[in-house]
Amino acid sequence: MSAFELEGISCHYGNLSAVDNVSLQIEAGERVALIGPSGSGKTTLLRTLNTIRAPDRGTVSVFGDSVAEFRAGDLRRLRSRIAFLPQDLGLVPNLSVLQNVILGSGGKRGTWRSLRDLVLPSKADVLRIHEILERVGIEEKLYHRTDTLSGGQRQRVAIARALFQDPEALLADEPVSSVDPARARDTVELLTTLSEEKGFTLCVSLHNLELAREFFPRLVGMRRGRVVVDGAPDSIPEEKLSELYELEAAEMMDDA
Amino acid sequence: MSEEAGSGHRRLGGRRWVLLSLAALFLLCAWHVGLTPAGLFPPDAERWDRAGRFFAAALDPAFDYQDDTVPDSADPILIKGLKGIVLTLRYAVAAMSLAIPAGLLLGFFGSSAWWPEPCGRGLKAVLRTGFVLSRFLMSFARSIHELIWALLILSALGVSPIAGMVALAIPFAGTLGKVFSELIDEEARSAASALKSIGHRPVQTFLTGILPRALPDLVTYSFYRFECALRASAVLGFVGIETIGLYIQLSHEEFYYREVWTYFYLLLALIVVVDLWGAGIRSRLNPSGTV
Repeated sequence: MSAFELEGISCHYGNLSAVDNVSLQIEAGERVALIGPSGSGKTTLLRTLNTIRAPDRGTVSVFGDSVAEFRAGDLRRLRSRIAFLPQDLGLVPNLSVLQNVILGSGGKRGTWRSLRDLVLPSKADVLRIHEILERVGIEEKLYHRTDTLSGGQRQRVAIARALFQDPEALLADEPVSSVDPARARDTVELLTTLSEEKGFTLCVSLHNLELAREFFPRLVGMRRGRVVVDGAPDSIPEEKLSELYELEAAEMMDDA
Repeated sequence: MSEEAGSGHRRLGGRRWVLLSLAALFLLCAWHVGLTPAGLFPPDAERWDRAGRFFAAALDPAFDYQDDTVPDSADPILIKGLKGIVLTLRYAVAAMSLAIPAGLLLGFFGSSAWWPEPCGRGLKAVLRTGFVLSRFLMSFARSIHELIWALLILSALGVSPIAGMVALAIPFAGTLGKVFSELIDEEARSAASALKSIGHRPVQTFLTGILPRALPDLVTYSFYRFECALRASAVLGFVGIETIGLYIQLSHEEFYYREVWTYFYLLLALIVVVDLWGAGIRSRLNPSGTV
């Protein structure tokens, strides 16, 4: 079964075309890196995958269902099965790590339960969150306020929140754009290992070509809202990949 | 020197005219209400004397009644003052415990942060109506001063504890609601949009992603308003409700200035204690000081 199936989708922001007639199929359990220069439509594409952005044209199917006829409640249930790691992490800074992580289950548990979770988390949840934090390497931070953590630790909190959601797919938007190279490698490795362990589909937008080639069996290259390369790293000629970014450099020089 | 002044003028540019206009406006208003520097000083020897006695009494507050007619069986003045403080505190607490929930409710409906997006036409019309209605109620409640509310309500209900409480609660709910809604609307939405994207409901997103972030500010502001409520509660004494203000007014009418200062100092002590308590809570809410 396909986890995601996009058919001829286009998205506009005013006159600006962010995604232009893209068709893409991602199988369940697959690990895909979305690569391409900034402004090539990666973020918009990710947002159509978790149905936050409805395409202006084309159809989106997730886990085998076309989402076009979905009502608001259906969309929420669907989103509760897909974890999303936004670029700014989207954590509540003055809540504890435990509270931020427990909110990962809010889509499945509903309003009252998640309010109770914030105030009186169940013992079972605390134990499970402790295990997850152990897995991502920050178990000693369970009760710390999130804004007292370093940037890398906060990213782990966001990943832990995604894991607590027990997702069938995880989408990550530029997870390494603002961390140093050594930590970037750790983060990408953690995400891909977790995807293998837990079996969830992983789709990550990445600016870093080397990391994409090293950790992902499939690369999807975007430029100006279109998919221009798609395949295993070995099957894509080197020139074609570097072209993606060289053109960007050339354009930037033109602009200057 | 003249060159410096000249360049200063140039730098001020348009702002110079604003400042000059404001100064002119002040002079015009002062002239219109008949303000003269002489009006700042007591007009005759008797009033000079009275002002002198009033301020001298600041250094010599009363520990016994100045009024000889007070029977021996009455509470000593410090006990009476402390009872007045407790009454003042009681009105402020009662009024705030009405005003905070009402303010939260008004602030919630007066904010658009929790509206679902996208939002159907019918629902949007309902939400807009609630928005406008709560904004109107908040403006109406706080555009009338608590003393005026007190006079209105006292004339309807007579001098009763409930009148004083409601008179404070109405304008305070209006102000709290307005500031609450602004604090909520200004809060960063990054957590809210992340939670929405994993299936949280719109109101749930508000309660889990926006409200916890705004909470320290809401608590800080509520504490500030609580201090205001204490002062307002004291002032209610001047329209006859039994708070420390009533004792101040009665002693003042009889020119017992030393008693007035005793009550002043007790009120001041109360406000300092509440301020310290508030500071303690603020530092617990923001231990890192980074938010």
